[in-house]
Amino acid sequence: MTPNQEHALNINRRYFFGKSATGLGTLGLASLMNTDLFAEKKQEPERIGGLPGVPHFAAKAKRVIYLFQSGGPAQMDLYDYKPHLKDQFGKEVPKSVYPDDRKTTMSSAQASFPVAPSKFKFSQHGEGGTWFTEIMPHLAKHADDICMINSIYSEAINHDPAITFLQTGAIVPGRPSIGAWLSYGLGSMNEDLPTFVAMSSKGSSKQGQPLYDRLWGSGFLPAKHQGVKFRNQGNPVLDIYDPAGVDRETRRAMLDHLAKLNQLKYEETGDPEIQTRIAQYELAYRMQTSVPELLDFTQETKQSLEMYGPDVNRQGSYAYNCLTARRLAERGVRFIQLFHQGWDHHGNVVNLLPKQCKDTDQPTAALIADLKQRGMLDDTLIIWGGEFGRTIYSQGKLTEKSYGRDHHPSCFSMWMAGGGAQGGMTYGKTDDYSVNVAEDGVHIHDLHATILHLLGINHKRLTYPYQGRSFRLTDVHGKVVKPLLA
Amino acid sequence: MMKPIMAVRLLLSFALLASASLLNAAEDAKVDFGKDIRPLLSENCFHCHGPDEATREADLRLDTAESTLSVIQPGNSAESELIKRLFAEDPDERMPPEDSEKHLNDEQRQLIKQWVAQGADYQQHWAFVPPVKPKLPVVKNKAWIRNPIDHLVLSQLESKKISPSAAADRTILIRRATFDLTGLPPTTTEIQQFLADDSDNAYEKLIDRLLASNQYGEHQATSWLEVSRYADTDGYQNDRYRYMHVWRDWVIMSLNENKPYDEFLIEQLAGDMLPSASLKQQIATGFCRNHRINSEDGSIAAEWHVENIVDRVDTLGTAILGLTIGCARCHDHKYDPITQKDYYSLYAYFNNVPEWGVGPNNGNSPPFIDVPKSWPNISPEEDKLIEPDPLVLTNARKEAGNGLQRPQAGSKTTLMVMKEMDEPRDTYVLQRGQYNMPDKSEKLSPGVPNSLNSAMAKQPSNRLELGHWLTDPANPLTARVAVNRYWQQFFGVGIVKTSENFGSQGEMPSHPKLLDYLATHFIELNWDVKAIHKEILMSATYRQSSNVSKKMSQLDPENRLLARGPRFRMSAFMLRDQALAVSGTLSDTMYGESAKPYMPPNIWKAISNNKYVQDKGENLYRRSLYTYWRRTIPPPSMMNFNAAAREVCVTRTELTNTPLQALTLMNNKTFVEAARFLAERILNEGGKTETERLTYGFQLVTARQPTAAELKLLISSLDSFSKKYENNDVDAEKLLKTGEKPRNQSINLTQHAAYTMLASLLLNLDETINKN
Repeated sequence: MTPNQEHALNINRRYFFGKSATGLGTLGLASLMNTDLFAEKKQEPERIGGLPGVPHFAAKAKRVIYLFQSGGPAQMDLYDYKPHLKDQFGKEVPKSVYPDDRKTTMSSAQASFPVAPSKFKFSQHGEGGTWFTEIMPHLAKHADDICMINSIYSEAINHDPAITFLQTGAIVPGRPSIGAWLSYGLGSMNEDLPTFVAMSSKGSSKQGQPLYDRLWGSGFLPAKHQGVKFRNQGNPVLDIYDPAGVDRETRRAMLDHLAKLNQLKYEETGDPEIQTRIAQYELAYRMQTSVPELLDFTQETKQSLEMYGPDVNRQGSYAYNCLTARRLAERGVRFIQLFHQGWDHHGNVVNLLPKQCKDTDQPTAALIADLKQRGMLDDTLIIWGGEFGRTIYSQGKLTEKSYGRDHHPSCFSMWMAGGGAQGGMTYGKTDDYSVNVAEDGVHIHDLHATILHLLGINHKRLTYPYQGRSFRLTDVHGKVVKPLLA
Repeated sequence: MMKPIMAVRLLLSFALLASASLLNAAEDAKVDFGKDIRPLLSENCFHCHGPDEATREADLRLDTAESTLSVIQPGNSAESELIKRLFAEDPDERMPPEDSEKHLNDEQRQLIKQWVAQGADYQQHWAFVPPVKPKLPVVKNKAWIRNPIDHLVLSQLESKKISPSAAADRTILIRRATFDLTGLPPTTTEIQQFLADDSDNAYEKLIDRLLASNQYGEHQATSWLEVSRYADTDGYQNDRYRYMHVWRDWVIMSLNENKPYDEFLIEQLAGDMLPSASLKQQIATGFCRNHRINSEDGSIAAEWHVENIVDRVDTLGTAILGLTIGCARCHDHKYDPITQKDYYSLYAYFNNVPEWGVGPNNGNSPPFIDVPKSWPNISPEEDKLIEPDPLVLTNARKEAGNGLQRPQAGSKTTLMVMKEMDEPRDTYVLQRGQYNMPDKSEKLSPGVPNSLNSAMAKQPSNRLELGHWLTDPANPLTARVAVNRYWQQFFGVGIVKTSENFGSQGEMPSHPKLLDYLATHFIELNWDVKAIHKEILMSATYRQSSNVSKKMSQLDPENRLLARGPRFRMSAFMLRDQALAVSGTLSDTMYGESAKPYMPPNIWKAISNNKYVQDKGENLYRRSLYTYWRRTIPPPSMMNFNAAAREVCVTRTELTNTPLQALTLMNNKTFVEAARFLAERILNEGGKTETERLTYGFQLVTARQPTAAELKLLISSLDSFSKKYENNDVDAEKLLKTGEKPRNQSINLTQHAAYTMLASLLLNLDETINKN
């Protein structure tokens, strides 16, 4: 979309907001959105903003809940089962399989790179016989909804570039995040909440790797597409509550007078931006009601609260965020992203990994079940995964009881559920050591292309002109991985 | 993707504009290659028929006259292969091909055909031709003209039969100019003095006073800090602390001293290489060290060393040349005549710093110098270049198998600077931009792209000569890019809207001659920044009222024709500074370490491993350009108002209008506390009657008196707030405890609370948050 076209859409929105602000009601939107300007393609009637002609084809998923596991979960301890490595315990990982120049400088100076087979038991679940670790018992029950990918690979070996790559399709910061692209392309499905919400929680196992605002940023896209961060302590949305000593009635009185004064200014100057501002103050007022209502779990049944586990009422826990995610999804939020920190297990995997699984296993499984029982799993795409995997060789000392694992981008596991992803299957194979992709590799760009496809978007056609060229989430790469589609 | 012309049409038809399009000149006029044709070729054809040899198809390039003429018979469109292919029915023949995702509509194809029929006059891209001072066109409304800017604006308006707007009221003018030059609102005394001054040059005296104020340098520095990606942290992963505020102070001082722009640039690029360089000139080179530095454990130093240099080259491109040079890192530029080899020849200028690709755990990265304690008041004896300590690497955890080496860290009293190594590093083209894929077949010397060097024969051989080359009057871009950024700052949109890109894919200037006038005049004035600012602010164009008719706002929503004065929402920095200034809490302390004002609780700790420790007392009320800038978690209320994130060089951010902004201005501690003290001021200084007080308060934020209708609304709102806090001391107390500065207890509680809400309303007025 060109800036001029964007401007036309802004004017369109402005008319809508202008009318709603001056009391003529909000019903005009659908009809306004369906003027000739948008005759090219019929849109979801309830939608606000977005690009004409997008989605490019019928979407399987209307929204996404992305459960980001920050730090890099160990694929061979969770999903990528390597039973025969038990015999290789302590033997060197061959340099032909794992050359030195692909190791991080954190472990590259080790004298030895001994194989550390997983200490965890695995078993098969569901009709597809998907392998799961013993420390994800709740999740394993949903094997038939899960589309397991064991052959994801990335290009970055350190946290910052790797997580930035997953989130924006580029290693170096500056590009829009996935959620921002979707906001830009698909617009919003609700009036009172942002269309892209990010949340974070700290893991129980260890201090997590830091997160950065750019992970839910809009890059070079207009800033309105950036994710709104729901904070994990205190006010969920910055400045959402009125100051102490100001009640809703007083706020209303203030806004009514403000609107009238601004209206006088509009009549004098003719600047249409003033109408938008009046409307944005009204939207802010509505958000002040809708956000607390969203986070009020007292309306949830005991059964549904229990399903998410004991942490569900603790703000800033993964369980709390999972339930919030479901409530956001119900309210038409397009892209909901959770970040759970603490998966960066350079040492002591045996003790730390189960703690991370305990944080996340039950709530994740509950989210799948909850969406399913509400008939929302079919059009909600759930994505689970971190920024890279971990090494098969032990970082630090290998003992019978303990091992550490360094960063490993060349193969790792992610999964999807719902939203048009094929459940009950396992895609891709790694070599005997879980070091390289052996079959059906899925590059991050391919993953992005596939996610966009499920949302009805041709990844090559969702572009934005910046610095003289058309940018897209998948840069100049990416292919849709058809076998993953239901 | 829709093309601009289509979009304009859509916009017009959407707006149901009945009158004929005023923006479209007569259809049969001569087609302008630069304005009409080159953008179409660039967008739709250059990708396969442009500068990049690697992806060039059929050995045809349409970005040069010579090659284009091989597929064109000027004057004979029917026999021109280009036109045949554009209009071909057969999809295999037609250009652009179906799978290119490029598309020319009928109108655009006709335009190209018309251009060929008219003789196919092909010109070099305008921005690569040095500017020539234009002759001033004849205009009818001579009385309106105040200086050459107005000639060039008015002639275009008259050609479209549009009249300029009336001059703005003097109250609006003093507020506009004061904000534009100092970033602060005028005081009531300043307003009174200006209104009382009926001399002919009252406005000029105002401008001169503002240009001479200390606040001028602070405000002008703000946009340069964004361009220079200045910050207090390293920007990756744990986002370690760094200390660059001495460089920031240097920027403020230089702008206040009115250092000529050419010197300003040369010192920042190569102050360390100037003959008998001063310490200040060395400090200036901090500009080249403001880029992010990765210090994440596990990193490969060679990889991130490349990123440091890439950032310097990209910043040079965006900030100074207005070019997307960075596009040529991995391959030849797709649109502009910059090859990949050109890119790495520029890279060679910045590749000779004795630095290490990974940073220390907190602190400055070498090379750095110890800045004298007396800074910023250094003595002449101290103002001499300091030799930085050599790089020292340590390998902290080798026994644990960790292979990462880190450099020594510079403390709070140091500053990162540039230094040339005795033996320059070898520079090669990095294939696909990869640090570990140098093309060792050819060692590169430093050099500038030939396409930009046509008027200058000699290649600059080092950073210092590069600085001189950039500021040579024959350089086609430097002066244009600078004056365009000034224009953007004052009018909201640059003469070239894409202020970061003057290349083939950038937007054409709305007023090419105005741009060239300002650029050549700037050079004539010996790059005198204050003089060029004054010239713009003295113009009748700038002094117009910003009121707009419905017709003009639909026809020209962004005010590109300049038929009215600028009106747009102020920056994050100006909004906070205004609130502090009108509430009387703003500190006028300049320079020094960054301040840590109010932030949301646990702003850093919530998602990272660092803790924000908020300052107390005066540091809560410093001007916003001194606010501590953590790159990975920048101040959220500033980001809400489109501040640049300081990750990379940014010359413009768009102006959004969102509900989160409303929440900030209504509920954020900074703004509520400011409302409390604005209320105190109104009550203490505003007079005895309610009307006097409300008038005073209104004037503090808008610089003008309220109308009768406005006053009535202010009275009615104050009444409703008074009712609320009458007999409700509990709520009044709570409200008046927002922020750390204690209230004046002698003021009646109810009245103070009610006026605080009224003051908050004043701070939220559209007029308050806009430059009008």
